[in-house]
Amino acid sequence: MISGNYLMRRLCYSGASFFVCITITFFLLHLMPGDYITNYLLSLSNTLPKEAVQQFYHQFGLDLPLTDQYLLYIINILQGQWGYSYAYGLPVFPMITEKLCWSLVLILPATVLGILTGTIVGAWSGWKSGGKLDLILFNIMIVIRAIPEFWWAIMAVMVFSFYLSWFPLGGYTSISVLSTGLSIPDVLYHAILPIALMTFFIATGNYYVMRNSMISVIGEDYITTARAKGLDEQGILWRHALKNALLPMVTITTFQCAAIVAGNVFVETVFSWPGIGLLTSEALTMRDLPLLEGIFLLDTLLTIVAMVVADILSSWVDPRIRMGNDE
Amino acid sequence: MSRKPILWISLAVLCVFIGIALAAPLIAPLGPTAITGKPLQPPDTRHLLGTNNIGQDIFAQLVFGARITLLFGFFSALFSVLISTSVGIVIGYYGGLVDEIVCRAIDIFMPIPMFVLLIVLTTFFSPQILEVSLLMGFLGSIYGIRIMRSQVLSIARMNYVEGAKAIGASDFHIMYRHILPNVMPLVMVKFVSASQHLLVMGVGLSFIGLWDTSIIDWGTMIQNAYSQGGLALGLWWWILPPGIAVVCVSLSLALIGYSLEETFNPRVGVNRL
Repeated sequence: MISGNYLMRRLCYSGASFFVCITITFFLLHLMPGDYITNYLLSLSNTLPKEAVQQFYHQFGLDLPLTDQYLLYIINILQGQWGYSYAYGLPVFPMITEKLCWSLVLILPATVLGILTGTIVGAWSGWKSGGKLDLILFNIMIVIRAIPEFWWAIMAVMVFSFYLSWFPLGGYTSISVLSTGLSIPDVLYHAILPIALMTFFIATGNYYVMRNSMISVIGEDYITTARAKGLDEQGILWRHALKNALLPMVTITTFQCAAIVAGNVFVETVFSWPGIGLLTSEALTMRDLPLLEGIFLLDTLLTIVAMVVADILSSWVDPRIRMGNDE
Repeated sequence: MSRKPILWISLAVLCVFIGIALAAPLIAPLGPTAITGKPLQPPDTRHLLGTNNIGQDIFAQLVFGARITLLFGFFSALFSVLISTSVGIVIGYYGGLVDEIVCRAIDIFMPIPMFVLLIVLTTFFSPQILEVSLLMGFLGSIYGIRIMRSQVLSIARMNYVEGAKAIGASDFHIMYRHILPNVMPLVMVKFVSASQHLLVMGVGLSFIGLWDTSIIDWGTMIQNAYSQGGLALGLWWWILPPGIAVVCVSLSLALIGYSLEETFNPRVGVNRL
C-alpha cells in the first residue's frame, strides 16, 4: 500500500518536476530561432515602421532581459495568468479550452472506445494465444500499427470521402452552418471518420499490452494451481487471469487519458479539424510564444497529475506494489 | 504459422529500399529538384510516376527521398540505442548514487510532452538532417534507459558476474564482455523497433510541415501532394508512391522487429500450455 510519507515525497518530486519542465520549455521557446514579427508577418517585416515593432516588443515585455521575462512568467503562472496570444491578442487559456473542446469531440470517444476494444480483444487474444484467430488478429494489429497514422487518415479520406463520397473531405461542419447554425448531427457526420481512425490506432496499442500481460499471467503458477484444482476454464479466466492481467492497463490508461489534451496533430491536420493539435502547429509556425507556453503548461500539468494518479491507483488495485521501496 | 518467410520477405524489401537509396544518383541522374517536364503530367515512359505541380519528376524525388528517410530512421535509432544501452549498463551495474541521480533526472524529465518538445527542438536544427536525428535519438533513448537498466540489474547479480569480479576483472571488462553480450538480443530488438518508430515519426514531422521544406523526403512529398490538391484532383500517382514506400519500409521493419522479439524472448511468443 501507499504510505503517507511516500505520497508527500512524490508530491514534492512532482512540484520540482513541474518547475523544471516549465523552465525548460520557457527557455527553449524563447531561444527558438525566429520570432513572431519575422515569421508571421514575413513579407511585411521589412516595411513595418520601427516604432510599431518596438511597441510590440515593449507590450509583450520582449525588450526585457530573458531572466526578467522568466521571473514575470513564473509569477504570472502562479497567479493563474496564462498570458495573451501574440497573433490573436486574446487570453491564452480560453483560447486553448475552446480548441480543446473541439479536440475532445474526436479524441474522447476515440480514447474510450479504443481502450475498451483494445483491452477486450487483447485479453481474448492472449487467453487463446497460439490459436489461429489469435495469430490472425496479432498480425492484423502489427500491420495497423506499422502504418503511420496520417497515412491511414489520407487513405481513409481518399477512399471514403473522395471516391465513395460517403463522408465530407474535411472540416468540422458543412457550409450550411452559416444559415442554419451548428447542428450536432452535422458535426457528428464530419467526426465519424477521424474518430473511427483514432479508435483503431489507440486500440492496437492497448491490444499489445493486454495480450502480452495475459500471456505472462497464464504462465504463472497460480493459474496452473487453479487448473490443477479443477476449476472450469471460464472461472479461471474471470476470477484469476483477467484480474491480474488488467493490472498493467491501469498505468497505461491513466497516461492515455492525460494524453487527450495534446490532441492529435496528424489526424487534425489531415481532416482540417480545428483542434488543439492544429493550434499547436499553427502557434509554432507563427512563433506565438504565450500560446505555446500555455499548451505546454497544460500538457505538463496533466502528465504530472497522471503520473501521481497512476502510482496511487496501481498500488490501490495491487497491494503487492509497495510504493517507496525502489523496485 | 511460421514467421520465417515473413522475416525473409521483410528483409528483402528493406534491402531493396536501401539499395535504391544508395544507388539514387544512378537511378535518377537528374536529381530530385530538377524541373524536367510539364507540371502534373501523368505517368509515362519518360516520367515513370509523372510530375508534380512544378514539373519535378516524382520518381526521382521518391528515389532521393529514400536516402533521407532511411538515413534519418537508422541514424536516430542507432544513436538512441547507443545512449540507452551504455547509460543503462553503467547505472545498472554501478547502482547507488549514479543510478539514483539518473533515475530521478528521468522522472523529472518524463512529464515534458515529448512530441511537442521534439517539434520545438527541430526548429533549432531544421536544415540539418544529422542534427535532428541525433536529437530524436537522444529523446527516444530516455525511455530505453529504464528498460536497459532493469535488465542489467538482474544480470549484474548473476553468479558469473560475481565470479568475474572475484578473479579481478575490471569494471569495464565485466560490462563489455559479460553484461553487454547478455543484453545484446534486447538491444537488437530495440534498434529495429526504434528505427521503425523514429522513421515514421520523422516522416510525420515533415508531413505536418515542420521541417525545412527544401529537404525532399517522403513526408515532404506527401505533404506537398496533399496540400497542393493531389488528393482533391484525384492525381493518385502524386500522392500514393511516397506513402506506399513509407508503408513498405515501416511494415517490414515492424515485422523484422517482431520476428526478432519472438526469437529472443520466448515469453511474448506463442503460449504452448
